[in-house]
Amino acid sequence: MLRVDNLTKSYGGVKVTRGVSLDFPTGSITAMIGPNGAGKTTFFNLISGHVRPDAGRVVFDDQDIVGLSSLEIARRGMARAFQVATLFPSLTVREAVTAAVISHRGHSWQVLSRFPLQSARARVDELMDLMGLTSAADTLSSILSHGDQKLLDIGLALAMNPKMLLLDEPTAGMGPDERWRMIEKVRSLWEKQRITVLFIEHDMDIVFKIAQTIHVLKYGAVLAQGTPDEIRGNNDVIEAYLGTDQRLSEAVGEV
Amino acid sequence: MRSRLRRDIVVGLILFFVLFFLPTLFPKPALRDFLIYVIAYGLLAMSLNLLIGLTGLVAFGHAAFFASGAYTFALLMQWGRTSIPVAMLAAILGTAVLALVIGAICVRLKNIYFSFITLAFQMFLHSVILTWVSMTGGDQGLQGGIPRPVFFGIDLNNARTLYSFCVVTFVLCLAIMRQVSESPFGYTLRMIRDNPERANFLGVNVVRMKLGVFVLSGAMASVGGIVLALFVSGAYPEFGFWTTSGEAIFMLMLGGTQLFLGPLAGALLLEALNHYITIYTEYHGLVLGVVILVIVLGLRRGIADSLFAYVTQRREARRIDEVKRPILQPTKNEPA
Amino acid sequence: MNLEALVACLTSASCAVTQISTALIVGTLLFLVAAGLSLIFGVLGVINFAHGGFYMLGAYFAFTAYKLSGSFIVALVAGSLGAGLFGVLFERLIISRVYGRDLLMQLLVCYALTLILDDGVKLIYGAEYRMMGMPAAFAVAPVQIAGAFVPGYYLFMVAIALATGLLLWLGINRTLLGKTIRALAINPQMVGVLGVNTAALYAGVFGVGSLLAGMAGALAAPIRTLTPGIGFSFLIESFIVTVIGGMGSIAGAFIAALLIGFIRAFGAIGFPWFVEGLMFAIMALVLVIKPTGLLGREAA
Repeated sequence: MLRVDNLTKSYGGVKVTRGVSLDFPTGSITAMIGPNGAGKTTFFNLISGHVRPDAGRVVFDDQDIVGLSSLEIARRGMARAFQVATLFPSLTVREAVTAAVISHRGHSWQVLSRFPLQSARARVDELMDLMGLTSAADTLSSILSHGDQKLLDIGLALAMNPKMLLLDEPTAGMGPDERWRMIEKVRSLWEKQRITVLFIEHDMDIVFKIAQTIHVLKYGAVLAQGTPDEIRGNNDVIEAYLGTDQRLSEAVGEV
Repeated sequence: MRSRLRRDIVVGLILFFVLFFLPTLFPKPALRDFLIYVIAYGLLAMSLNLLIGLTGLVAFGHAAFFASGAYTFALLMQWGRTSIPVAMLAAILGTAVLALVIGAICVRLKNIYFSFITLAFQMFLHSVILTWVSMTGGDQGLQGGIPRPVFFGIDLNNARTLYSFCVVTFVLCLAIMRQVSESPFGYTLRMIRDNPERANFLGVNVVRMKLGVFVLSGAMASVGGIVLALFVSGAYPEFGFWTTSGEAIFMLMLGGTQLFLGPLAGALLLEALNHYITIYTEYHGLVLGVVILVIVLGLRRGIADSLFAYVTQRREARRIDEVKRPILQPTKNEPA
Repeated sequence: MNLEALVACLTSASCAVTQISTALIVGTLLFLVAAGLSLIFGVLGVINFAHGGFYMLGAYFAFTAYKLSGSFIVALVAGSLGAGLFGVLFERLIISRVYGRDLLMQLLVCYALTLILDDGVKLIYGAEYRMMGMPAAFAVAPVQIAGAFVPGYYLFMVAIALATGLLLWLGINRTLLGKTIRALAINPQMVGVLGVNTAALYAGVFGVGSLLAGMAGALAAPIRTLTPGIGFSFLIESFIVTVIGGMGSIAGAFIAALLIGFIRAFGAIGFPWFVEGLMFAIMALVLVIKPTGLLGREAA
């Protein structure tokens, strides 16, 4: 689905992404981990067209997408949810999801019909149901709880029928119970919707539990990649994390 | 959502009948003239609100399109070979093209940059009007009056007929603007206002959408200019001066940006205010400036928007009490 | 279009010198106003739509001071400091209350202030045109350069503006205060934490910006007529200058101001009806090709 070759980016002489080459097969669920400042979010920005790489290739769905705008990449089926849920505060949940569906179907320019298009209704209901937001349908998205906002953010991304979903810390800022509920949601989306998923996560329990493959970044370069078991036993990873991320060293230590 | 459409139609009809018959109930020419001013500037303010309230684009040069409509229409009529409806359509289309050219440059810019660049283009147009004396009459304005030939049996030389024609035109424009803001296009514009980056990641072509609404809004502003030109039988450079744009923005602040008819209420208030200020003093700007400062510094938002926010808050507070949702309760940890 | 006249002027030394001196005058005045606008934007993130008002205040303050004292130096100082002081007051009493609020509110207070200043000047000085006249100190024979006569005052003006620009640039780029101000533009909280009085600094920067506009007004007073509303056209042109040069860049403002000065001076001979159009065309071109302006770093 997505293949990245030798991706490089620097800001004012500081290399934030150093020759990263990774492969994300169709239908896989992959986690990306690494200490703060490892370049994970930059990696997302690079592949989603938000930031242009200095060098390297990004092949998405068999096409080189380097140089395409974030808009074009989004339209080709790469959807993204953000670390801090970014929503449309003045729209209700239903309105926001409807607007996203309408945009995906190319109906944004319609001026003669009235807004909640009847034709979009079934899809909107389905998406709200999928994200468990049906009972909040008429709530303004700005006053949703933090967890619901993140769910809505993902729901908006799903409205595009994406081939691949990028999730930047889907559980950030959540309590332990909420966290697991969210991750079950992500797992069931991956299983039932057959979407290729790539997510950034700090909670190692979660990473080891649901990811098929784990890529570890450090200082903008790939430190290690492999299955959860391989990563657990990788000395480089343990070394990189010891003292920098208590949670990983704990998680690794438990094995 | 049929009921919302029905409500819009009912409100539109009420507005139409009130405006249409008000001069019959109070047959004073002064009231009629006043209402035509409200209609002209109301169109300016309401079209501006398509940019500011609906899309979040704070344009400060909107009077350019007001003036463009007025001058194009007036010049076409003085040329003498077109009927009023044809000249109107041509002026609207011409202004739309102008808005397309100016907008293509402006909509790529953000926030205050956008505001200033629209203002700059307006002042460019204003200086063209001032310097191209042979065409526009310069700072004296377009002299010689605008002929009003009869079309379809309608004679706009009759003051009452002229007024009725303006009301019909006005309500028609309002219907168009209302429909657009309630359409899928209108809601996509709301997405852009709330969060352009996110809209972009959802496949919305933000720049083109902004350009689309910029052109529509310019075209609607030109109708306001046409109405005024038709009424005063001429066109003046003040139509395109920056103070006209400033007044339109003040109308939005008075009437609010969140209610569709708010700007119209603002136009009504400001026109009334202007009317009384000019009676009592020649230092119109001084008084108006002080009034603006008092309101802006006294309230945190525009008058109507403050009211609107208060009402919405109350309603939402009640809603939250009713719907206690069990799933995913809010946490204290905010994301880093 | 009268290109023959333009070519004739360019090939005649005296005409060229006369027009170059005009270009420098226009350019330096624009530079002072634009530098103030750019400085305020760079640090406070506010485009001061009322900036033209400070130019006008500078001119009228200088006019009054000159009438009272008969000394042009007093007039220049009064115009600059008066406008600067007004700037500080405006920032403290009004602008500081709308930071971070709706852009609409920022526009409105600037609109209101411009209305008040224009009408206030009309109230005090009347709506008619006023002339300050050339100060006695400069009522000397013009300097002859290559057959052209350049008034001594022009040279004085250019020198003052250049010195001010240089001082400003050195102040921002070479002093500790300048460093603090640049830091303030990037991270106000951090600067606040370090124990700097950011509110005073904001007011100070706004004051300096207004002072520059006022100085331009005072310098222009002897050679231009005064009328309420003179500030506004200057505002638009200085905005064009800052867009071309790059918002927040003093050096960019200098280059762009001179460019506009030359377009004005020579365009007046070759293509008088297209001077404004050319300025706007250049601005549009810069915006399309490099939206940050020639030397700007801040994203537009």
